[in-house]
Amino acid sequence: MLVSSSSRLISRRHLLGASVLGGLSVAILPRMAFAEGNGPIPIGTLTPLTGAGANYGGRMRDAVAGVVAAVNEQGGIIGRQIKLISEDDQTNPEAGVRAARKLIDVDRVAAIMGVWASAVTTAVAPLCWESGTALFCTSGADSITRLPHKGFIFRTEPGSELQAEQVTVFMLGEGARRLAYMGPQTPFTEPSIQRMTKVATAAGAEVASIIYESEKASYRSEVDKILASKPEFIFFGGYAPDTVVLVKDLYKAGYEGRVVGPSYVIDAEFLKTVPNEATEGAYVYYTATSNETGAVDRIKSILKIDQPDAYTCQTYDHANLALLAMAAAKEASGTAIRDNLRKISQGDGEKVGFASDGARLLEEGKKINYEGASGPCDFNEIGDVTSTVTSFNVVKGGELLPYK
Amino acid sequence: MAGLEIVQSLINGVVYGTLLTLPAMGLTIIYAVLRFPSFAVAAHATVGAFAGYVANAVFGMPLLLAFAAGFLVSGLVGVLSDEAALKPLRGRGPLTVAIASIALTIVLENVLRFAFGNELRGYDVPLQRDWMISGIRIGPQQVVNLVVSVVLMLAIFAFFKFTRAGKAMRAVADNPMLASIRGVDPNMVRRFANFFGMALAGLGGMLIALDTSVNPLVGFRIMLPIFAAAIVGGMGSVPGAVVGGLTIGIAEQMSLLVIPPIYRTAVSFGVIMIVLTIRPAGFFGERGN
Repeated sequence: MLVSSSSRLISRRHLLGASVLGGLSVAILPRMAFAEGNGPIPIGTLTPLTGAGANYGGRMRDAVAGVVAAVNEQGGIIGRQIKLISEDDQTNPEAGVRAARKLIDVDRVAAIMGVWASAVTTAVAPLCWESGTALFCTSGADSITRLPHKGFIFRTEPGSELQAEQVTVFMLGEGARRLAYMGPQTPFTEPSIQRMTKVATAAGAEVASIIYESEKASYRSEVDKILASKPEFIFFGGYAPDTVVLVKDLYKAGYEGRVVGPSYVIDAEFLKTVPNEATEGAYVYYTATSNETGAVDRIKSILKIDQPDAYTCQTYDHANLALLAMAAAKEASGTAIRDNLRKISQGDGEKVGFASDGARLLEEGKKINYEGASGPCDFNEIGDVTSTVTSFNVVKGGELLPYK
Repeated sequence: MAGLEIVQSLINGVVYGTLLTLPAMGLTIIYAVLRFPSFAVAAHATVGAFAGYVANAVFGMPLLLAFAAGFLVSGLVGVLSDEAALKPLRGRGPLTVAIASIALTIVLENVLRFAFGNELRGYDVPLQRDWMISGIRIGPQQVVNLVVSVVLMLAIFAFFKFTRAGKAMRAVADNPMLASIRGVDPNMVRRFANFFGMALAGLGGMLIALDTSVNPLVGFRIMLPIFAAAIVGGMGSVPGAVVGGLTIGIAEQMSLLVIPPIYRTAVSFGVIMIVLTIRPAGFFGERGN
């Protein structure tokens, strides 16, 4: 009844033929865009443009887009232009897997960059190593690089356990003996608390901890619970939206002790959001950053901002590392990136901070050592960056000032 | 000491519950008149938070005027978005409209994202320490939130009880055809319900953003507890939304005395299960108002 008379003009044979042709085109067309062809080299970003990580993801994607535009302007890599495909992981593993599938199966990218949340990275990692796609992430969970990833994962964020240890040493060095940790439920929270407790108890100090549920409108009762342990120093292990609530609730509760958090949480934007009285005296820790090669200046000019955050710096490095590894291999694929990344990121070659500069040197037969905006970008055998927490700032009157 | 902890948790729960009651009342008013659960209350809570932010932090208005801006702007956006996106689908059943309201939420959230970006923002309001009264702490901002919520709740009760428009809304909620015969214009009443419901959601969003931050996810933070509050109280019942909000707030906060904080959302669902098992229509049923 619902079939119109005109539809009868399409015979079964025509329909079958069209289906076969359609199927073949679906199978063949993506090959034309494949990284190993002669057209533009496809690379992808999978940053959180919506969800809990949304306040980082846009800048992360823009940093990669800026690198790609600048490299294309200078002729591309190995004689080919770069094509960037950006997807939103929605800070959600299930959405991340769908987007990664599209990047790998449809766009045929050589690398996926800027994956932020540990849960998302953990979910998309098997797709990457099984398809031979390089995966660059800024996720902190130590478990990620312990996966059987066949060398395809590179993490530019120092491992969270090491960060927890170094921040604990800092708090102990400041004379605190009653420490506390407040963090959301993530793959890195429990290991961070365990490492913190181990270091603190060895020094005769006590640790209290609260693992909270993220994205709540109030943490008054969680704050009451942690303050019952009378902490002298509280370590924030979560992200900016929840830490804003915690800092406000701690201030309202009359907490007079000290707090410390990472630079990707307590940054200039955070300090504009929270009234100064609640952030006064807060400590902020940084992982290694470097402007030795002008990489930080280049990000500032790309994004037109004064103070790029750590994740933006790391994602800028992802793009440069992937492009340089392909330039060194003279081949555009995830395997080429895996096999050549350490040849361009560490060693005694000439230091470079931008892919086009490095590619030119590689063409001249010279060795290079990429030193990025997030630090030296040297990687160990499981893909972890070897740089660590190096400095602390303190907040005074809403401004970040150097401390240690 | 344990007694103080219990009292403190109870107060924290009341404070948190009052934050939920305004958007929950908005949801339940829209449900009572339009007969579908509008997920768009979350987006309108965010609209209210941003409208209040623009009034307060950009134009320098005092908080009271910013509350008014949040209320009016989210109400107007509620009417316009309903006319444009949901009204044309109303004949296709409540499920279709409910699903369309999810799409509307995503659209509104992303419009705000494009207009303001993903950055966190804060109101130009000084932070105050809590008052300590006999070992119990109470926040000045929470008292303001409580007063605003209670005043609005009383105003809504009075509106439904004593005004012609309120009676018309109740009439349309009970029997749209009969109300129409009696000269009540159902379309105007529906528009009014939308305005009022979304304005309450917007004001609730602004109160929440005062404690958190202004960003495109303000409404998302409270969507589940709002629905939990409305369902526990009984969908369509304004007193039910108040009781439901307080129940969810108190249950979530007091549960932290005995279970880890990561199960707060699970507590909300646990309360829904228990209440609906005992009273399938919620505390005040569908016609409780």
